[in-house]
Amino acid sequence: MNAPTKTTGPTAPTSDTPVVSPGARRLGLSRGLALRGVVIAAVVLAAGMAVPYIVLDRFYISMLFDGLVLALLALSVGFLARHLGLISLGHTAFYGGAAYLVGISVTQWGWSPLMAALTGLVGGTVLALVMALLVVRSSGMGFLMLTLALGQALYQLSIQRVAIPYTGAFDGLQISFDADATFLGLSVAQMMNGALFWPVVWTALVLSALGLWLVGRSRFGTVLEGIRENEERMRFSGFNTYWPRVLAFTISGAVASVGGVLFALNAAYVSPDVLSFLKAGDALIAAIVGGLGVLLGPILGALLYIVAQSQFNQSGNLYLYTGLALILVLMFLPGGILGSISSIRKRLARRSAKENSP
Amino acid sequence: MNFAQVLNGIALGSLLMILSSGLAMIYGLRGVTNFAHGALYMAGAYVAYSVSTHINFWAALIAAPVVLAVLGAVLELVFFRRMQHRNHIEVGLVTFGAAMVIERVIVLIWGERTLSVDAPSGLGGTTSILGTDYPTYRLLIIGIALALAIGLVQWIRRSDVGLHIRAASHDVETSGILGINVDRVSLIVVCLGAALAGLSGALAAPYVSVYPAMGISILITVLIVVVIGGAGSIGGAMVAGMALGIIQTLGSVWIPSLSVLVPYVALVVVLLWRPTGLAGKRV
Repeated sequence: MNAPTKTTGPTAPTSDTPVVSPGARRLGLSRGLALRGVVIAAVVLAAGMAVPYIVLDRFYISMLFDGLVLALLALSVGFLARHLGLISLGHTAFYGGAAYLVGISVTQWGWSPLMAALTGLVGGTVLALVMALLVVRSSGMGFLMLTLALGQALYQLSIQRVAIPYTGAFDGLQISFDADATFLGLSVAQMMNGALFWPVVWTALVLSALGLWLVGRSRFGTVLEGIRENEERMRFSGFNTYWPRVLAFTISGAVASVGGVLFALNAAYVSPDVLSFLKAGDALIAAIVGGLGVLLGPILGALLYIVAQSQFNQSGNLYLYTGLALILVLMFLPGGILGSISSIRKRLARRSAKENSP
Repeated sequence: MNFAQVLNGIALGSLLMILSSGLAMIYGLRGVTNFAHGALYMAGAYVAYSVSTHINFWAALIAAPVVLAVLGAVLELVFFRRMQHRNHIEVGLVTFGAAMVIERVIVLIWGERTLSVDAPSGLGGTTSILGTDYPTYRLLIIGIALALAIGLVQWIRRSDVGLHIRAASHDVETSGILGINVDRVSLIVVCLGAALAGLSGALAAPYVSVYPAMGISILITVLIVVVIGGAGSIGGAMVAGMALGIIQTLGSVWIPSLSVLVPYVALVVVLLWRPTGLAGKRV
């Protein structure tokens, strides 16, 4: 399936690869486009701050909050799929790993929530870097299976008896913050309230989406798309194709880590579920149903997913319906909801253009 | 370490061998990782439970593969054949959805309880091998698995259908041009792969108990086996499955706390050493 590719490898000198150090040259990002993106993001950011004042019900706001956390995870998976064509089932490792790191650094080492959050973020990102070095050489199915296997290795590790002092195995890890601990000015009780913690997670989501969009539109993003379309030709054209993939994977892992950190701070409880196969499936299905080809697709998918979850979970048939939804979307709506909408719009535009110019 | 542990490893390896050879066959031919393979294994175990409580275990050993072959035909006709020109990853994800549906339907039919299946009468005791008393039923698993492995390899090597399978696994388009009915070959392979999953589920039912999470927990191990063996290689999957079963069982004796990590470590080591798996691109 994947031909034995001889990339230059991690030992290759990186000095001759301008693509990985975009700061040295122009980012390949037109200033007008970037400015427009930033303005739109700022407007969306400001508008979203009103949500807790509109959705007053405690149940619905915490449901939306969970949706945003899942959206961060789905966004990170979608980024890899969109720019590299790689489908990862291992991003739970960064999401769950970061969540556990927050828990461990609070309960074991007695750190403040802010320090714990930074630890989780850095730890998850480093984990992503290490995994990237191992997996980005493969592609397609191989990549999917490798990321799944490595993600599950962390799950297995978390439920072992030797890990009980740290993770609590199946009992989960209760994160007991100091009573007077604060995170960005929020007390522990406020952190656990979806409405009051909303601005933090909303800012994180909008900034992550903006960041990924800027990365995608930069010269680096173009290189990634070149690698996605034809890795071999990119190599023959003198591009290093290994390090851009490692960097993209690491960026995506960092976004997943942000989701894990925010989840842990809000829930104050981490269980092995955050590392499980089903969690990886949740994020991927949300991203696919929403639309992998569009930046906002995974976010829409995650919100829909959380709503569906609250509707169907009582009967216990959640996975029956999500499985069916996944099959139906993949068979009849390739491109997901947003992708299909945009392709229908394009088709309509083409038809009207044809009618106008006979 | 004692001899019984080695035999335990071989018994686990036998199950992995049967299961992963089916997965590898489907992967080789359709290029699709069948994420529903764990669910098929689980379905085999539940069918075996029902048949063995109503008739007997030997009937279950026949019924489970037959029922699962039918289910495999459905998978092939509904998903694999209709989506054969689509991206392989999309088809793989469809099987992921199918796995969720199958697992939930099984729970709706049989319930969430853990069920146990008795070993067939006469095989419930132990047999003495080289001075070690060993459960007779596990010897049966080993015997059936080895016979199947030899039979399968010979069939693929010698028969016309086997030749077609090897050809189509190597290059689907060219084999189609040369007159091989790829759709028919694929139907055979998917049915056989599903039947093998059903058989290993039925064999596993008295050995491990029958419970709703059994599919997911073995799926990941089997995926690792297939990647280690060399994606799509049936022989590679068999060797890797047996080796992993033995290593994991012996590992649980020596380093009990970390033995579950053995497959993952093996995966990383093999992929660093031989990125295309043990068997490379051979079928």
